[in-house]
Amino acid sequence: MTLPFDLSIVLGLLGWGTLVGLDLVSVPQMMISRPLVAGTIAGAIAGDVASGMRVGLLLELFALDVLAVGAARYPDYGPATVVAAAYAAASPAAWQAVLGPAALLGLLLARLGGWTMPYLRHANARVVQLHSAELATGDLGRIEAIHWLSLIRDAVRSFALTAFGLLLVALWLRIPTHSEWLPAVAAVGAAMAAAWNGSIRTAGRGFRLTWVEAGAVAGLIWAVWTR
Amino acid sequence: MTSRIRALLRLFTIQASWNYERMQGIGMGYAAAPLLEGLKSTAPGRYADAVARSAEYFNCHPFLAGVAVGALARAEEDGVPGPLIQRLRTALCGPLGALGDQVFWAGLLPALMALTMIAVAGGVGAWAVVSFLIVFNGLRLATAWWGLRTGLETGLQVAGAIQRSWLPRVGPWLGPAAGFLVGFAVPASGGYLLEGAPAGTLASTLGTAIVGMVLFHRLPAMVTALRYGLTLVAAALLWRWLVP
Repeated sequence: MTLPFDLSIVLGLLGWGTLVGLDLVSVPQMMISRPLVAGTIAGAIAGDVASGMRVGLLLELFALDVLAVGAARYPDYGPATVVAAAYAAASPAAWQAVLGPAALLGLLLARLGGWTMPYLRHANARVVQLHSAELATGDLGRIEAIHWLSLIRDAVRSFALTAFGLLLVALWLRIPTHSEWLPAVAAVGAAMAAAWNGSIRTAGRGFRLTWVEAGAVAGLIWAVWTR
Repeated sequence: MTSRIRALLRLFTIQASWNYERMQGIGMGYAAAPLLEGLKSTAPGRYADAVARSAEYFNCHPFLAGVAVGALARAEEDGVPGPLIQRLRTALCGPLGALGDQVFWAGLLPALMALTMIAVAGGVGAWAVVSFLIVFNGLRLATAWWGLRTGLETGLQVAGAIQRSWLPRVGPWLGPAAGFLVGFAVPASGGYLLEGAPAGTLASTLGTAIVGMVLFHRLPAMVTALRYGLTLVAAALLWRWLVP
């Protein structure tokens, strides 16, 4: 199994995947982990900005369903989008054929990434429990050490997730693609449902829901008008 | 570099050590450390206790954590009794969390992201993404600086300062704007992604979306957006591979 990229591109994607994985919670939360941002820059690294941006836009619709509040467990779309964008950039098939497999790869990895987060948080908690006596005495060196080691732990998690995803890209590229629109329709339809569902849930039943509905009607008119 | 700037930079890592034991506590202690350094010379007896308190349990919206870091550091500097500082710490969690969620997670972020998606669908391209990063992070940095300054200036009176500030007033405006923009961005993005598709594709995509929303509503515990997407795309791909 080989990747269709130069070593420099693979290293660039690994580095970018690690950064966006860190951005989700740890540092600096500047929203580079948003799929549209992560995908566009991953596409640029892999040599196809347009494909990266499209995959990013598709997964961004799924990510709009997520409200990252408190200790909630949610999918990690950052490294997943980097990998899906790399697949889309590397695939020689037509756009409509790439969209479905890219969405499947991205969603699987996002789910896997989401599963890794509680393990990371439990690992951090165990270290805090282990050093609770030193923390109670106000040992600043221990506070800083715990903080930095937790950050490194998340960097390792993000790196491993991206590396595993890039190995999957090599496998994914062997899967035969068809130039039919059915998988693309399934992916875009599910993504639209996710984004609308997220905005309706956030809006509740008040007047904000009316704004969501008004926006959806205006957007539909715009989408039909510009076709 | 001044202690305020160092604390501001450390605020960007506030959740790096997030855990189920103290949540953001360790990150708060790490961010507050430069602001507590003055106690080493002015009140060395209080310094270790202040550092220990700064790393205790805490959780709020990460973008507003500066308000709490500043207020608690000011209270330590003013020699406020420890139990009172701990009460302030506990009291700030809820309001800063709720306000931050309303203003950032449910307002500013989806609104700016939806605008970016509409711009991409409208053909602006990667510049839309760059603009999003500049605008969002400019606002985020300004908020972090404002929060830290407000906390340091007001100390125990921080609750009143938050109440009088811009923060509780923008949420009710940002919410509807975000709702409209996300509502608009969804079909606009769908149309862009299916560019070049045969006639009727948009209608079947809309149908798929509506079925999904009905399922999310009827079976919320079973059908999540991620599960719906995974199942549907996998089934469509399998169908095409098995029935060429």
